[in-house]
Amino acid sequence: MNIAVLVKEVPDLEARVQVTGDGSGLEVEPKRVLNFFDEIAVEAALQLKQAAGGRVVAVGMGLEALRRALAMGADAAVRLEDPALEGADPLTVARALAAAVAKEGFDLVLAGKQGTDTEAGLVGPMVAEVLGVPCVTGVVGCEVEDGSLVVTREADGRETLRVPLPALLTAEKGWYEPRVPQVMGLMKAMRAQIPAVSLADLGVEAVEPLPSQGFQGPRSRPEVRMIQGEPEEAAAELVRLLRDEARVI
Amino acid sequence: MQIWVVCEAEGEGLRRAVRELAAQARRVGGENVEVTAVAVGDEAGPAEALQGTVHRLLKVEGPAGYAADPWVDALARVLGDQAPDLVLWPEGPRTRDVLPRVAARLGWNAVTNALALEAGDGGLRLLRPVCGGKAYQWLGLTGRRVLAAFRPNSFDPETQADLTTRVETVSVEPAAQRAEVLERTGQESERVPLTEAQVVVSGGRGLKGPENLRLLEELADALGGAVGVSRAVVDAGWADHAIQVGKSGKTVSPALYVAVGISGAVHHTMGMDTSKVVVAINSDPNAPIFRYADYGVVGDALQVLPALTRAIREART
Ligand SMILES: Cc1cc2nc3c(=O)[nH]c(=O)nc-3n(C[C@H](O)[C@H](O)[C@H](O)COP(=O)(O)OP(=O)(O)OC[C@H]3O[C@@H](n4cnc5c(N)ncnc54)[C@H](O)[C@@H]3O)c2cc1C
Ligand SMILES: Nc1ncnc2c1ncn2[C@@H]1O[C@H](COP(=O)(O)O)[C@@H](O)[C@H]1O
Repeated sequence: MNIAVLVKEVPDLEARVQVTGDGSGLEVEPKRVLNFFDEIAVEAALQLKQAAGGRVVAVGMGLEALRRALAMGADAAVRLEDPALEGADPLTVARALAAAVAKEGFDLVLAGKQGTDTEAGLVGPMVAEVLGVPCVTGVVGCEVEDGSLVVTREADGRETLRVPLPALLTAEKGWYEPRVPQVMGLMKAMRAQIPAVSLADLGVEAVEPLPSQGFQGPRSRPEVRMIQGEPEEAAAELVRLLRDEARVI
Repeated sequence: MQIWVVCEAEGEGLRRAVRELAAQARRVGGENVEVTAVAVGDEAGPAEALQGTVHRLLKVEGPAGYAADPWVDALARVLGDQAPDLVLWPEGPRTRDVLPRVAARLGWNAVTNALALEAGDGGLRLLRPVCGGKAYQWLGLTGRRVLAAFRPNSFDPETQADLTTRVETVSVEPAAQRAEVLERTGQESERVPLTEAQVVVSGGRGLKGPENLRLLEELADALGGAVGVSRAVVDAGWADHAIQVGKSGKTVSPALYVAVGISGAVHHTMGMDTSKVVVAINSDPNAPIFRYADYGVVGDALQVLPALTRAIREART
């Protein structure tokens, strides 16, 4: 089975983020990692390959993410590289990924449920639509059975579905615990040749992104009000404050 | 300007998030807006609840119960034909399946996870998180066709029922569903869904053991809210991932969030930081969660929780 995994590079969750003085931009500490949910997708791809044979190709824009996928055990990586992809609309990204995946040939495409940056969850299902294949989101289990997949997903409860191949699945937490790359893998990833393709190579038409109208930081809360006393007293005072001051109960 | 709201039922009724969007569409649209509620298949019945609050109710006949492929097809056709400027969707698993694919079909712009919509100098704009909620970005919507999904509890659902709603019907013959559902197990809980709840009571490792989750449930029931947990609780096997709050779980934005025995790791707070009022209960006065809280109680969760439940019940009678 030929499996393509879409890997997104995102700022580390611990990276410092600051809105610039005039509110027009962001300063993000340059610590970049493979997206949390995509690590799960890479692990799932490796597990499916082990069960059904085949090849795993990682496709994405960031080198850090692609090398991580290789270090985990992906057989190859393809990099999308184009100035037009900087700050691109998700649909442009999806069209480019779909074209690159189609060029590689695939039976199954895996993506993450969402990026930890914008938590959008747009690109996976968009790629499925562009490729014209069925899409199942929030997957926590998958078996190959007689050439189709039996997939379990988490969405307001659980669902088990039979999905014909080719298909695209997005990975939810709980599917697999991603492996930590070994030294051998890391060395292989460092040495790997990662071919780059451009939007022109792929014949992709860009969608104009929505214009940014500035950034703001998270809402700052007033200093916490500590409520003293034994449990009974503190509880009574808290209830009074929630009712009379905060007016939320 | 044409603003559409995509209806989604919950039980017998309409999701509150849909009423929020319909109310906000009128608020930001001003004089020249026409608000259309679009209801696919079986959602048409519950969508009647919007009578008087929207200009038009458009029923799309063809698909019956929900399935992703026919819904994508039906909505893409109707939207493509009628070309509204802005389509508002309630965040949720169904929207996450359908919205991106409709956008890809139509070549329109798409945004999810948004939390504010307002009329600015340059027309309508929306706010969405970037960098995992460490910052937020305004995106302009004017002059484009945009599909945008908003978190529940982002807007006030109250609005005047002073319009005469035109009811229209279109019929489509949608594509067939390709993935076949073999089995479905719903949420066992009788409580309000976590992401929709006005009150969320969440517990962490400070609860000491799975047997004490009962104390959370009792408080949540007294408040009419939902129960959430930290990842540590899920990893320990005390609760299901479906109710995990945080970066790798659900994002909630209730009017009241109560965090009990939760340290306040950034991965957790990223999932609850937009809650309106936050209460933290923790035995450690230096726990980081107090930095994200409006009210704090230092104490043993196993004592404070029952006391609080009793106090709430008393206040409510
Ligand atoms: C990529 C990634 C994603 C993650 N995603 C999530 C996520 O989605 N959600 C999430 O929650 N976490 C997430 N985490 C984990 C997160 O970093 C924390 O480890 C986790 O939130 C800790 O859970 P906790 O607060 O319950 O436990 P702890 O950190 O162990 O805190 C327990 C707290 O209970 C207090 N306590 C102890 N005894 C009592 C008592 N008797 N009464 C009252 N208080 C008491 C302690 O003082 C302490 O503050 C993620 C981590 C990573 C790396
Ligand atoms: N630039 C990208 N390169 C590769 N994959 C991506 C990219 N952006 C998004 N994806 C994939 O789409 C998923 C959802 O991303 P998002 O829509 O940004 O939340 C990610 O988990 C990735 O699998």
